[in-house]
Amino acid sequence: MDVVDHLNAVRTGAMSRRTFTKGLAAAGVSLVMTPMAPKLASAAAADQATYFTWGGYDVPEMFASYISKHGEAPNFTTFGGSEEALTKMRGGFVVDVAHPCNQAIPRWVATGLFQTVDTSKLSNWGDVMPNLYNLEGNMADGKPYMVPMDWGQTSVTYRTDLFDLAGQEESWGMLWDERYKGRMGVLASAADTWWCGAIYAGVDFKQLSTDENFKKVADLMRKQRPLIRQYTDDTTTLEQALASGELVAAMTWNSSAVTLQKQGVPVKFAKPKEGALTWVCGAMIHKDAPKLDRAHDIIDAMISVETGKWLIGDNGYGHSNKKSFDQFDEAKLVELGLSKNPLDILNAGHFQIPQTQEFETKMNKEFEQIKAGF
Amino acid sequence: MSTTTVGTHVTPSNVNRTRDRITAMFLGNEALRGYTLLSPTLVVMAIGILVPFAILLTMSFWTQVAFEFDTTPSLNNYAKALEHPVYETLLWRSIMISGACSIATVLLSYPMAYYVAFHVKRYKMLWIILMTLPFWTSYLLRVFAWKVILGFNGVINSGLKSVGIIEQPMEFLLYSPTAVVITLAHAWAAFAILPIYVSLEKIDRSLLEAATDLGDGPVARFFRITLPLSLPGIIAATLIIFIPTVGDYVTPALLGGPDGIMMANMIQAMFGKVNDWPMGAALSVGMMVTVAVFAITFMFVSRKATEQIG
Repeated sequence: MDVVDHLNAVRTGAMSRRTFTKGLAAAGVSLVMTPMAPKLASAAAADQATYFTWGGYDVPEMFASYISKHGEAPNFTTFGGSEEALTKMRGGFVVDVAHPCNQAIPRWVATGLFQTVDTSKLSNWGDVMPNLYNLEGNMADGKPYMVPMDWGQTSVTYRTDLFDLAGQEESWGMLWDERYKGRMGVLASAADTWWCGAIYAGVDFKQLSTDENFKKVADLMRKQRPLIRQYTDDTTTLEQALASGELVAAMTWNSSAVTLQKQGVPVKFAKPKEGALTWVCGAMIHKDAPKLDRAHDIIDAMISVETGKWLIGDNGYGHSNKKSFDQFDEAKLVELGLSKNPLDILNAGHFQIPQTQEFETKMNKEFEQIKAGF
Repeated sequence: MSTTTVGTHVTPSNVNRTRDRITAMFLGNEALRGYTLLSPTLVVMAIGILVPFAILLTMSFWTQVAFEFDTTPSLNNYAKALEHPVYETLLWRSIMISGACSIATVLLSYPMAYYVAFHVKRYKMLWIILMTLPFWTSYLLRVFAWKVILGFNGVINSGLKSVGIIEQPMEFLLYSPTAVVITLAHAWAAFAILPIYVSLEKIDRSLLEAATDLGDGPVARFFRITLPLSLPGIIAATLIIFIPTVGDYVTPALLGGPDGIMMANMIQAMFGKVNDWPMGAALSVGMMVTVAVFAITFMFVSRKATEQIG
């Protein structure tokens, strides 16, 4: 019996209350079941390992070797910030591979939710630059918790046609420029924004957690708040707003500037005189990873030259595999603000260093209140 | 309820008699019958609402220490919630946004429901279904659609610009509490149309004829008969919209901008990146109590108002 029949029947009074209720019940059941349909449809992907990552890294381009080995890309699930990701996993969400950054490693390891990576299962491990995995809290018995993949900078992407530097050097101060009130955007997670504020305030990262410096950065963040159009974790939103001219400057990672330049939008990824924020991110394996072998295959694909070529050429990020850089000439790398020796770039900026969990909570709470206007 | 006594000497007839008595008691006691009928729902409610609420309430008295909870009961979280002005502001903003949204939705939905109830003669059901059409798409899609309409280069701004009414895009349209109210009012329209339609449909048409016979014009008739008799629908619609929207999280997150953040966003942050679950629990409990107070007051006032009219 189709819908029209039902309607006619009700209208003419031919349908009994009971029949109508039955119809309603059927509609209710199908409504409740609908969300399950996509799950059933993708049942085939249940064989694949799950990769928990930042929005924008959930693309098959990064997993060519995995796809050729297993037929399809891993399952993707994304987060807006690594703190959010950690909370979710502590709440019982089990994935195979997650994608944090270096400053999070000791805290992530301390949760006991992760295992070291068996590097003998990674065919590309020999080409990974040791500088990038010999990080604080990362190595245990010669095995890494986090296999580094991408490294880069957080800086200001600005519209060269709309933002008037007025003869000044590029600086973090661009995001505190009163002239562009309501036309600037920053990332909503303190893991980027607070640290950038610290650079602008001239705070040494080793002293980041002292009360005096905490207040110094918080004050700067409060000063910035009325100038901000938007706090977001979604870099696409920032890119679109920069492209339309809604924003003239925004805090972004390398890829936003490269993406916009490719679309012909006149933007530049600033080299702030105070130095950019630099970081290394990579892959960690969950201790209960249901597909341990495939988890290693995911990581092996992430550190492959193919992925590196895509990350560097299409996104402007650095890669951990030294051979990836051989795909590009020096001029191209300089243009992208990269170098074959990552330390050149990472140490030229301000490299993030791990903090205590208490500090993270305090910082995030304060930043949420500042964003809300207090 | 008297307990059934069973003789010490159990015979088949005794068993039968006991069964009969239980049946009789069951049939005779309406409350018992009601609860039995309700029992599947009650079980779901207990597992799905009461248990999580108990957990939330318990957790709100704990303290977060790094990754662990200090389970010594304390009122610290509530003290902090009262002390820091940010929570009060966000709560008020949530109530104002959701109140504005309830009023706007009811005002916009009433004419639609009125039209269908009084002026549509055939295919009423079809009209109702058509009005709920926006609900057939995902809520997120509708939020993004509003983003496209209200945006900097959106439909409204570029339209007005091309006509020459404005020179610069109106920026208050997006990333503001206004954007949140507009989007919520659209999204919840069907929840207002349906109860109002039902209450309008139930109005005895002879009352309207009587009013006309006694000399009321259309306007007086509307305010003296139609509106008061449709009040139950309006009250239901207001509550149905107010209670869920006050805790809405995704709309302010996507469209609210810095000044449109609501309480639910703060609660989400507490359970997410801030990693202070007990504080989040305390805020949730506080919000629930506030909403309950508002809803009860509203119901009380509106009942009095209805009695006055009646």
